[in-house]
Amino acid sequence: MKRETDYGHPIKSVYTPKDIENFDYERDLGDPGSYPYTRGYYPEGYRSRIWTQRMTAGLGSSKQTNEVLKRYREMGQRGGMLVICDRTNAMPIDVDHPIGRREAGVLGWPGASLLEFEELMEDIPLTGQSITLLGSCAMSSIRLAYVVALAEKRGVNLNEVHGSVTEYPFCNTFGQTDAQPLDLNLKLWLDSSEYIVRNKIHMRSGILSQHFQESGGNNAQALAVEMAMLKELCSLLVNERGLDFDDVAFLPYELVSVGSRFFEEIAKIRALRRMWAKMAKETFKAKKEKSCQLLISVHTSGRTMTYQQPLNNIARCAIQTLAGSIAGCTAIDNACLDNAHAEPSPLAARMSLNTQHIVADETGVTDVADPLAGSYFVEYLTNKVEEEAYKIWSKIEDQGGIIAAVQKGYIQNMLRESAQEKHREVERGDRLIVGVNELVIPPEEDYQIPIQELKAGDSEGIARRMEEWKKTRNMPLVKAKMAELYSDAKKEERYNLMPSIIEAVKAYATAGEIIGVIRKARGLNYDPLEMIDCPFDFI
Amino acid sequence: MGKREKIKVLISVIGLDGHFTGAEVVCRILMDAGMEVVYLGINQTPEMIVQAAIQEDVDVIGISSHASNYGMIVDLLGLLRKNHLDDISVICGGTIPKHQMQELKKKGVSEVFPPQSTSESIVNYILSRC
Repeated sequence: MKRETDYGHPIKSVYTPKDIENFDYERDLGDPGSYPYTRGYYPEGYRSRIWTQRMTAGLGSSKQTNEVLKRYREMGQRGGMLVICDRTNAMPIDVDHPIGRREAGVLGWPGASLLEFEELMEDIPLTGQSITLLGSCAMSSIRLAYVVALAEKRGVNLNEVHGSVTEYPFCNTFGQTDAQPLDLNLKLWLDSSEYIVRNKIHMRSGILSQHFQESGGNNAQALAVEMAMLKELCSLLVNERGLDFDDVAFLPYELVSVGSRFFEEIAKIRALRRMWAKMAKETFKAKKEKSCQLLISVHTSGRTMTYQQPLNNIARCAIQTLAGSIAGCTAIDNACLDNAHAEPSPLAARMSLNTQHIVADETGVTDVADPLAGSYFVEYLTNKVEEEAYKIWSKIEDQGGIIAAVQKGYIQNMLRESAQEKHREVERGDRLIVGVNELVIPPEEDYQIPIQELKAGDSEGIARRMEEWKKTRNMPLVKAKMAELYSDAKKEERYNLMPSIIEAVKAYATAGEIIGVIRKARGLNYDPLEMIDCPFDFI
Repeated sequence: MGKREKIKVLISVIGLDGHFTGAEVVCRILMDAGMEVVYLGINQTPEMIVQAAIQEDVDVIGISSHASNYGMIVDLLGLLRKNHLDDISVICGGTIPKHQMQELKKKGVSEVFPPQSTSESIVNYILSRC
């Protein structure tokens, strides 16, 4: 068995003060609540605020997902809701698209129109909990428009809504794909981000290393890629969109993937807080202390959940949840015991939420802020992962920054190599996984778990509903709003499309229509899959 | 051993599934085992896969699946039959629940490799079919 960090650094049998010889408490850690925030943002740790305990929802129709959200509340979901969008929505194409209708509601919520969002949120307040919708970048502006439109419809003050519905423009590279080109994703991300910042909306934008790491990246790479993304995206908002960094700093949040390498995961999160704080102060000259505090959420690692002996995943999930909570985070959503089989069954969801409550309420982890600070090993690992990440980040900068590195395929190659290496490590027995290459049992002796999945007819049902509903819309209004959007999308690149997207969403234009018309204005095919024609005759 | 010295395998993700890591890892495994690999990537329809299989004259088609787009895999099987390409073995891999594994095999998928399948098991299976 390899005794190395997941990024290949050898681990010794014991750590002593010599391993952190130049350690300076004030400079490297500071008290919880003090710069550089290695120890977290709150002097009182979780005593001031317990992390948001949430669980990913999204499967089948909007009404079904709404039911699941209500059930999660009863199961102990606290502080926020989290919904993941389906595959059609990731593209985005409409659910009545010839391919879309095969996969509507698969692996997520089919949020292709404001109607779907209204159904998703039925009897669920927009305020009082964080509203998080995960999905691809291209769909982000439309999700933001849903929130703006529904708040207006319900007479809710938009500034009282918080959460995150927008995502960074590189998901395509990290294994969470949409069908849009990078320049369009980047433009839409900048538009939605600028809109959020200028209107002082309390919605964050996910700039996530989670996808990268879940697709096979290691801890040091994930940190480096995260910092490179944060630097370049924040710079664009400051330099190209003319925003103040102290306003921009409230926008990003990071979803960290936390696997089972317990101490390394904790070190990674502590290092990330320190790296962001330093960049905010030194590179961006932050004036506000708050700007030095990057919001960090934890997703326990779906990739580590095994197909074999799925009940073992309960133990993995508990270890990872403990790591995430010790590291200090704002929210946790857990992978489930059935992660390698299907969508979370009610049993698996309950187990995951229970795991969070067991960790929070039974272990004492919430009593003390950053309890592992000062451990020779953990401080060493925190320094080491930071050092390695700076090296990788500097190579990304040598490529011309993250956008250039993605365009050159540099990041993709790094990820591919790392994923291959992780596979080889398991094959060689360098890394042991119980039930996979250790203590293996024959498949016929394996436990049966409940499987939650969608039937083929369910997708078709969702598609038919949209087909019928589309005809009942006020079509002259839809067309007028789409014509405005088309004309705006032909304007200069920095012309913000959010206002016209919001108007289109309010008129119940669909995601496929909105992105399709923007694509047309940019000289692209209406349908990213080139199967259907633009339904509007004004183009 | 079949028609030629080097076995040719087409690897693809099907439908709107965007999870490509597994497919890419398998491509590398097969290439390391001396096979020729045609990788189509994501957003491929059954029609596109069959067309590529004909053009490239492959021996085996491998579909990487991340939970629930089995309908399209079944469509692919039908389309292969329609084009008299039944001699091409279709194998699948990924997060496929056990009962779906059985269903897919009944419908003509020759083997299903769940997560954490060994490189050896995949390579040996393909060798046995060609």
